[in-house]
Amino acid sequence: MNKTANRWLGGLTGILMAAAIYMTFVYVPTEADQGIVQRIFYFHVPCAWVAFGAFGLVAIAGIFYLWLGQPVWDDLGYAAAEIGMVFCTLVLVTGSIWAKPIWGAWWTWDSRLTTTLILWLLYGGYLMLRAMADDTPQVARFAAVIGIVAAADVPVVIVSVRLWRTIHPAVLVTRQGGHGLEDPRMVATLLVALAAFTALFIWLLMLRFATLRMRARLGAIARGLNLAQAAAGDL
Amino acid sequence: MAGFAAVLRKDLRLEMRGGESLVALVALSLLVLVVMVFALDPAGGVRDAATAAGALWVALIFAGVIGSSRVLLAERDNGCLRALILSPLDRGALYWAKLTAAFIFMAIAEAAAIVLMVLFFNLDFDWRLMRMAPVIALGALGFAALSTLLAAITGRVRAGDMLLPLLAVPLFVPALIAGAKASGAALGGAPFAAIAQWLKILVAFDVLFVNAGWLLFEYVIGEE
Repeated sequence: MNKTANRWLGGLTGILMAAAIYMTFVYVPTEADQGIVQRIFYFHVPCAWVAFGAFGLVAIAGIFYLWLGQPVWDDLGYAAAEIGMVFCTLVLVTGSIWAKPIWGAWWTWDSRLTTTLILWLLYGGYLMLRAMADDTPQVARFAAVIGIVAAADVPVVIVSVRLWRTIHPAVLVTRQGGHGLEDPRMVATLLVALAAFTALFIWLLMLRFATLRMRARLGAIARGLNLAQAAAGDL
Repeated sequence: MAGFAAVLRKDLRLEMRGGESLVALVALSLLVLVVMVFALDPAGGVRDAATAAGALWVALIFAGVIGSSRVLLAERDNGCLRALILSPLDRGALYWAKLTAAFIFMAIAEAAAIVLMVLFFNLDFDWRLMRMAPVIALGALGFAALSTLLAAITGRVRAGDMLLPLLAVPLFVPALIAGAKASGAALGGAPFAAIAQWLKILVAFDVLFVNAGWLLFEYVIGEE
């Protein structure tokens, strides 16, 4: 990633994130029923949005890697999986912090919690595979297959877990239709937070992707040097 | 089709002539059920169908993780896998043969586990077991499909044996939820309507993963 793009993206993320923090803590009115705890919602939902988006990206990158075989797709999938894992962890943590005062328990086996936990486990397995295995085209293919299979599993997980049980509040699309945010300031805060986290995600993704590309180039140079050395030794 | 039959026949014959996979699978299912009885301690008179069904699904997962991947991993010895790949055999046929063999072994182990479950949990041998059988068979097929695809991956990664359950179990969760619910209901004598929605999920899971395995197998079984 070139320096200018990095600076602009970083600056944009910083501004949006500062605005999101200001709006979450100062601007937005406190929710009547839940009180101050509800403010974590403005971080929780964007984290979930980024986590799910990142995992979708892993699957798409996997499909393109198997199709075209270009290493860039592999690096993109790897970067997205790592960042998605961080945000997925944040979703679980912020959700727990909210659930304790509201539901009276850190964890319940509600459908969305369970789905998120299973997603977290799935991509934990994906990252374990990448951590254990060497950096070869073969392992890149394995990871692509796991990423695709994991994404294919998600709809079935959602359906089965929803049938199993559900108590999670449906804020964005309520059961009566429409959304559950009464105050327009709440909507504005959520939208700014979503934009901030999306910018943060894209910035992190570009940085990590650039690092992985650089690592691949270094590997190629090292292999070339080894070959040259071996050739020199033969003489 | 001929290739599929040849590989399947070879695997079944190997097992009949003193292969250990099936014995290990049944022994493992027995052990898991014994462990579950000690851990849950169902009282003599209480007939808790849901608990018994749950124990059965734990046994299925253990048997699946350790046993069904053996069918493919056994080919690693003496370079058999490479020979299979070099042969004119279609890779899809190899997948179907391995999946069928894994499914047959798991189904036999589960049949034994069902008998043991009835004995250990003080249930009755009656028509309810017959209603539970298709649920277990669907679960075994789903896990066989998963482990056939995943074993092709973990079989060639360092510490892959550890990785297989880490990948397979989370993927299997929807089938586990549906299967445990359906078999508990079937064992408790619930009407078919109560089981139907769970059966639909199981069928969807099986269709999805049998086909995903078929489509993706050629990408993971390729050259060394």
